[in-house]
Amino acid sequence: MTYSSSLALSRSQFSGRSHNSVSFRASSRTLGPISNTIILIVLACLLGLLYLTQVTKTNAYGYTINTLQQQSAQLKSENQDLQVSSARLQSVDRVAASDQAKSMVAVAPSGTAQ
Amino acid sequence: MALPNTNIVQNAGLAVKRIRFFYALLIVIVALFGVRLFYVQVIRYDHYKNAALSDQLKEYQIPATRGIIEAHDGNQIVPIVLNQKLYTLFVDPTLVKNPQKVASAVAQIVGGHSDDYLSDIKTKNTRYVILAKRLTPAQSDKIMALQYPGLGTEEQDYRTYAQGQLGAQLLGFVNDEGVGKYGVEQALNQELKGTPGQLKAITDVRGVPLAASKDNIEQPAKAGNNVVLTINMGIQAQMEKILQDEAQKTKSKLLSAVIMDPNTGQIKAMANYPTYDPAHYQNVDDPSVFQDAAVSNAIEPGSIMKTLTTSAALDLGAVQPDTTFYDPAHWVVDGFNITDIEEDGGARQQSIASTLALSLNTGATWMLMQMGGGQISDKGNAAWYNYLHNKFQLGKPTNIEAGYESEGVVPKPNPNAPAIDLTYAETSFGQALQVTALQMAAALSSVVNGGTYYQPTLVDQTIDANGNVATNKPKVVANHVVSSKTGQELIPLMQNVVAHYRDTGFSYMNFDSHYLVGGKTGTAQIAEPGGAYYPDKFNGTYLGFVGGSSKPQYVIAVFNNQPTVDGYAGSRAGQPVFADLAHMLINDGYATPKQ
Repeated sequence: MTYSSSLALSRSQFSGRSHNSVSFRASSRTLGPISNTIILIVLACLLGLLYLTQVTKTNAYGYTINTLQQQSAQLKSENQDLQVSSARLQSVDRVAASDQAKSMVAVAPSGTAQ
Repeated sequence: MALPNTNIVQNAGLAVKRIRFFYALLIVIVALFGVRLFYVQVIRYDHYKNAALSDQLKEYQIPATRGIIEAHDGNQIVPIVLNQKLYTLFVDPTLVKNPQKVASAVAQIVGGHSDDYLSDIKTKNTRYVILAKRLTPAQSDKIMALQYPGLGTEEQDYRTYAQGQLGAQLLGFVNDEGVGKYGVEQALNQELKGTPGQLKAITDVRGVPLAASKDNIEQPAKAGNNVVLTINMGIQAQMEKILQDEAQKTKSKLLSAVIMDPNTGQIKAMANYPTYDPAHYQNVDDPSVFQDAAVSNAIEPGSIMKTLTTSAALDLGAVQPDTTFYDPAHWVVDGFNITDIEEDGGARQQSIASTLALSLNTGATWMLMQMGGGQISDKGNAAWYNYLHNKFQLGKPTNIEAGYESEGVVPKPNPNAPAIDLTYAETSFGQALQVTALQMAAALSSVVNGGTYYQPTLVDQTIDANGNVATNKPKVVANHVVSSKTGQELIPLMQNVVAHYRDTGFSYMNFDSHYLVGGKTGTAQIAEPGGAYYPDKFNGTYLGFVGGSSKPQYVIAVFNNQPTVDGYAGSRAGQPVFADLAHMLINDGYATPKQ
């Protein structure tokens, strides 16, 4: 019960008894100072919550970025490993030891085209 | 008229008072919150902000990827030094509950003895102990799968050498701190290492950076430049095989060789034996093997110096290619006898050609005399020093992209120095001064190419992180070293030396006549600590050229330190290496025939 409604109630309680009283109709309900304060506090909290959700949402992108960066680093590492493997497969020692190389013979030029 | 119910009136009044009381109480509570918030968020703002930042703000250095090193393989460019992510295994001893169990598990995955790991794990007063390095990704995954508290791995870039030991000393290696040591890795460390980046960000409890912070700083790392060497891998590989075979045959202490393009200064191959595996540099006992002796080992070169003495004498006009002179077979200079080897015979007419073919010390001394107007003199010494130091650039570093280059020693023609004439007479045939194999190759190159001294270089191109290619142009250090006529006069004289050996029993010096081949042997005495020379220790050297038509295509220098051979070290230990290299260049199609 608000203060004004309590006054209205008491007036209405007395209105039936005194014929000299002015016919009283309870005024429309309004919010009192306590309600106002509480509503203000709740609104402030809601605003704060709204801010937090927006910041959290933006921060969540950090996790997405981190995941993508980890994937990128992983792919770069795999690419590096492949480059190393490829270079090793083409190494002079490996080629020289291959079956094809072993079946070749060394020759000196037999002549020179003029 | 009925009176109002006093109870109702009293109750309404009490209700109003209660409402007022609780409102006041609410105001007080809210005020208390407000005051506290004001205190925390305004009065103590700096304190709590700093406390939060110290916990949340993390700063990381983003390591830069080191540039790779490539070389030529025919028409292709192939990588020879790359990066590979390997893992360092570490442990926090304070968190390990069962050291024996952890040590056994690590030994099983990584190899080695569990006792060694156990003693590391039990290390006191530290929270970080490295147990092993260079773990593969598979080994790292197995370690992490154990989920032992305190045991972890961290990723690190390591250099990997796809071609094994090829070019070990000219490449150098990168130590565990990421610093290049020796060779190209040291000389070009600044260019290869790149610039690390920085990440400064508010992070969550796991250390993940949060995007919404205006204080975040992210500066990406800048990768190092890739370098393409001038080296031809085919020539390099065969040179290393030849050096290994010859060094083992002659039981040399050290064997070095350089093949250079005299028309650009580009090094096509440079190697030494013994060598090492740069991927396992930490297992090397003798660190002297890290040195690229072709650029760092300066020795008295012996008679190969006569090619430069002849060039200087020809260029000064002191002699002509067909000049003859009477050789008394010995000269007395500052009280000392300068003589030739027994096989050269006694006093008789000689020529410039025979001076080189027979390697006459007296002939070289005679040419120095002609530079001084007929006798060894200050004028002649000064003129010869001018050629040695200012034109042929001896006694100075070549500034090739290699670590620990030696500048060698060239004595100054100080007229007041004791026995300066004897010193200078000795320099005319390659003693009393010290040079490296690279310096000799570069000096001869400046003569046979017509008189331009090009800076020797190992770098053909650099490629930055954005893929922009910068080609290294030949750098001229000195022009008009000799006249082009002098170069053209020296070439047939050196061809004559090769023919002399071919015709006197050295059958391996028989080259296809369609190819330009010339050279000079050198047998150099080795100085004792006291100043005299060892009677039984020599270095065998060779300086020559192969290929091309009017101008040689390749210049080759060979330094064979203390070979064990019968006969003269130059012809028995230096010349065979040159011959093998020259035949290889001709037979494998690297050398072009004369037109």
